[in-house]
Amino acid sequence: MSLSNLIQNWNSFRTRRPYEGQYDEAPYKWAMVIDLDSCIGCNACTVACYAENNLPVVGKERFGKGQAMHWIRIERYWGADEAKATEFPERGAEYLPMLCQQCEAAPCEPVCPVGATHHSPDGLNTQVYNRCVGSRYCSANCPYKVRYFNWWNYPDQAWPNPLELQLNPDVTVRSKGVMEKCTFCVQRLRAGMDKAKTEGRILADGEVLTACAQACPTSAITFGNWADKKSKVARMWKNQQVNLAKNSQEKSEEGIRGYRILEDLNTYPSIVYLERLRNLEA
Amino acid sequence: MTMSNLDRRDFLKVLGISGAAATLAGCGHTSIESGVEEVMSYVNPQDFVVPGIGVFYASTCAQCGSGCGIMGKVREGRVLKLEGNPESGISGGKICGLGQAGVQAHYNPDRLRTPLYQGEGGLTPVSWEKAYQILEERLGPKSPLKGEQIAFLTGGVSGHQRVLLENFLETFDSTHHVAYDALSTATGRAASKAILGAEQPLWNIHKARLIVSFGNDFLGNGVSPVYMARQYALFRKAPRGTLIQIEPRMTLTGGNADRWYPIKPGTEGILALGIAHDLLQHEEFSKGVPQEVLDLVKNYDRDAVSDITGIGSDAVRLIAAQLWNNSPSLVIAGPSVEGHSYGFSNAAAVQLLNVILGNRGKTMEGQSEHPFPQLAPVLGSYQALADLNQKMAAGQTQALLIYGTNPVFTAPSPLPFAESMSKVPFKVAFVTHMDETAGHCDLILPLLSALEDFGSHVAEYQPDGVEVMLQQPLMEKLYPESKGYGDILLSVLKKRKPEVYAGFPDYYSYLKTAVVKAKPVFKVSDSDDHFWEDALRNGLVKWDGKPTPLESKLPVLTMPKPAELATDYPFYFVPSIRPDMRDGRHAYLPWLQESPETMTTVVWDSWVEMHPKMAEAMQIKEGDILQIQSATGSVRAKAYLFPGIQPDTVSMPLGQGHTQLGRFATGVGVNPYKILDPIFDVHTGELAMHATRVAVRKTGEHQMIVKDEGPTAFQGGQKLVATLSADQTKLSKEI
Repeated sequence: MSLSNLIQNWNSFRTRRPYEGQYDEAPYKWAMVIDLDSCIGCNACTVACYAENNLPVVGKERFGKGQAMHWIRIERYWGADEAKATEFPERGAEYLPMLCQQCEAAPCEPVCPVGATHHSPDGLNTQVYNRCVGSRYCSANCPYKVRYFNWWNYPDQAWPNPLELQLNPDVTVRSKGVMEKCTFCVQRLRAGMDKAKTEGRILADGEVLTACAQACPTSAITFGNWADKKSKVARMWKNQQVNLAKNSQEKSEEGIRGYRILEDLNTYPSIVYLERLRNLEA
Repeated sequence: MTMSNLDRRDFLKVLGISGAAATLAGCGHTSIESGVEEVMSYVNPQDFVVPGIGVFYASTCAQCGSGCGIMGKVREGRVLKLEGNPESGISGGKICGLGQAGVQAHYNPDRLRTPLYQGEGGLTPVSWEKAYQILEERLGPKSPLKGEQIAFLTGGVSGHQRVLLENFLETFDSTHHVAYDALSTATGRAASKAILGAEQPLWNIHKARLIVSFGNDFLGNGVSPVYMARQYALFRKAPRGTLIQIEPRMTLTGGNADRWYPIKPGTEGILALGIAHDLLQHEEFSKGVPQEVLDLVKNYDRDAVSDITGIGSDAVRLIAAQLWNNSPSLVIAGPSVEGHSYGFSNAAAVQLLNVILGNRGKTMEGQSEHPFPQLAPVLGSYQALADLNQKMAAGQTQALLIYGTNPVFTAPSPLPFAESMSKVPFKVAFVTHMDETAGHCDLILPLLSALEDFGSHVAEYQPDGVEVMLQQPLMEKLYPESKGYGDILLSVLKKRKPEVYAGFPDYYSYLKTAVVKAKPVFKVSDSDDHFWEDALRNGLVKWDGKPTPLESKLPVLTMPKPAELATDYPFYFVPSIRPDMRDGRHAYLPWLQESPETMTTVVWDSWVEMHPKMAEAMQIKEGDILQIQSATGSVRAKAYLFPGIQPDTVSMPLGQGHTQLGRFATGVGVNPYKILDPIFDVHTGELAMHATRVAVRKTGEHQMIVKDEGPTAFQGGQKLVATLSADQTKLSKEI
């Protein structure tokens, strides 16, 4: 995608997705389900992401300035509103694993002046580091606040020798001035898809997982190929009656837990969350 | 084949496929220290060596004692990432954040790289020849030391590391192995043993319809968090079980409860007796219960219990009614129950509920018999350290060896371990990092990391049979001047008892011989080499055992009423255990320092949790620096307003406040161990960690608290985390 192509065809890039049947012919569309009733808030996913994706540790001062680089984080809420601030959280805490929602109509994409963030054919919202000029428009436009900017040149400082030996050779170490975000572990997907292609087949369900899904001790994160209607993730989306191409979901009955966060902003996220449950008689 | 004349790298080659990991990993890696880049030719690679392709090798996580099977991704000679090993019944292919950070322990820039000796000119690097010479002078065959003159102080230790340690002591006619754990669960285990007949029964979490947990953070840092989390996931599937958590300060597990109750610290046993009182009104439960128990609970009616515990009498009735209606249930106790002068009685009263409810044989069973009791873990206690300290202070200890524990950091101030160490003429530390305790030693020996060394581990909690977990190097050692714990012990043993140990060139050969010798127990007909290769490839050898019945008895309990809060120390003090920092030994791992503590989202710091209502009354705002004063000492830290805490309680996380342990740990936060009062459980002698009471003073200073959460902890009308009543959903119809 050249820049001139991008400018000439701006509207088509912006408006084409999502639509019904968009992935009917596609071999892959990566998607996720996160069960908030299974998530225990343990942070296994977040540390796994640091390990897999060469995320720099920024230290206390920079963390305090909001410069943390955690592609997935556990948000912890205490309820709906401040009126409850002085009460006990008698139904426990609310844990929310928050990562890039890989929106089908991602608000970050059209605002990029250089086409550094764009959509891949397999439904990923990708970030091309060597196109990025650091305008940070994408981050400003992201309603989930899951884009992270390299304010500093972390390759120089975040991995004092020999910590750099742990760096994953399959993942670029980002330098100063570049925006970054969750990639759904695209390096794992790419390697898996290439291997499957060489063998003349499509990846089997569960053959490739993101680092967070692989680590999760309660298997709260289900990841897979949504375009494969037999995959667990596709069956879960269907079972939870979430339509990828709609911005509000009609449910056939009460008690179906699947929802997408901030769906009314027309972002069409690729992650379905399942509502947290509580036995209110307890 | 004889291996006596082979060096370490050579004998790794004889391991076959798995061992080849170590050989492969060794290629090119001597260059890290020397700065010389070596180019390895891939012209004639071994079959499985493909540049750019990672290969997984099985090993065992040594970050905590749970014994999770892991797999290390090894590529171009480096271990890059750890995953769970699906062959392991404990981890089941999963891994926690603490486990992930094992690679940072290995590649940590502050690892010790040479032996150090405290000579006349202070602490100076010495060669291994010199270190071994010192060891031989002091502990060699000519050493006159006998019996308790020598002490081996460790944390929890199991497997062949334990066997070798005990063999080593035996050559001094000594059994003086002192196991110390700052977060000892000895009181709870003793109470469980007394009531249920097992120190650590198996909990069939997924079979329970209701779990009532009194302060047990089994999902965050209990006996086997990854296994428990896997079981918990099953428990929450249809038909969804209910979790009730009762504790003074909300733990990670408490945050997952269907109902969370803040209880006054130390009154958990009284609440348990109140629940028992309600249950025993029904003949179904009271029949067969001895008169002593009926007499004990008769004074604990709902109103009396409610007054003492701060839990409403309706709530007492509700908990009892749910236990009545949801069988089988599971009642468990944790550190906040055990940590009092009557912690044993407190925990026993909680366990009594399991007996009354008939949970034995359903949700609670005895662990399988152990085919190798000598490999079972020796679990640490505080009492052991206190005894040792006394002997050291009295000048009875002539040599002290320390491995896997840091009492100078974790022991409370009234136990002056560092001072007592000065009375011991010869102290050796086996460490990967310079820590506070090693700083007081004469000889400091740099160990291989857990990803460079061989070993075997047997976990305390064995969910299915018994798994002997094997640890193998995932790459060649980073620092040529580091050695394995087993190798060092063995080399001293070879001097002391050459007739027995001369045949083992190193710890690897010792371990292999030991495991292969145990082959008949595992009923396999493979050749020895096949058996060993399979064991390394799978990361474990498994013994099929069956759960055993629990023999319970109902001893007579006395349950004291906790003293009221006094005016000079008007707050209960709860030291909280972070799932990633544990007792503080992991504070040098940058991923964990930067990983927000889930309940507060604070990073890189210590803080004081206080209920917003109490803070409002005292005019305290987030970030105000508070002085927390106990009878023993004081620390200063920032206030964090936390709704999940009993209002008369303040809480601080353990693990920070290191003065040594590398750049990522030192100077971060404060050390609350040092303000714990010397209060002990009357039954076990363990330190009562939740019995300290404190005064809270404002210093007038203020600093921003560094945390991940935004300006509000509330969802403000957005559907972010949506919650549904469990009875409104049909989990059985879900995929």
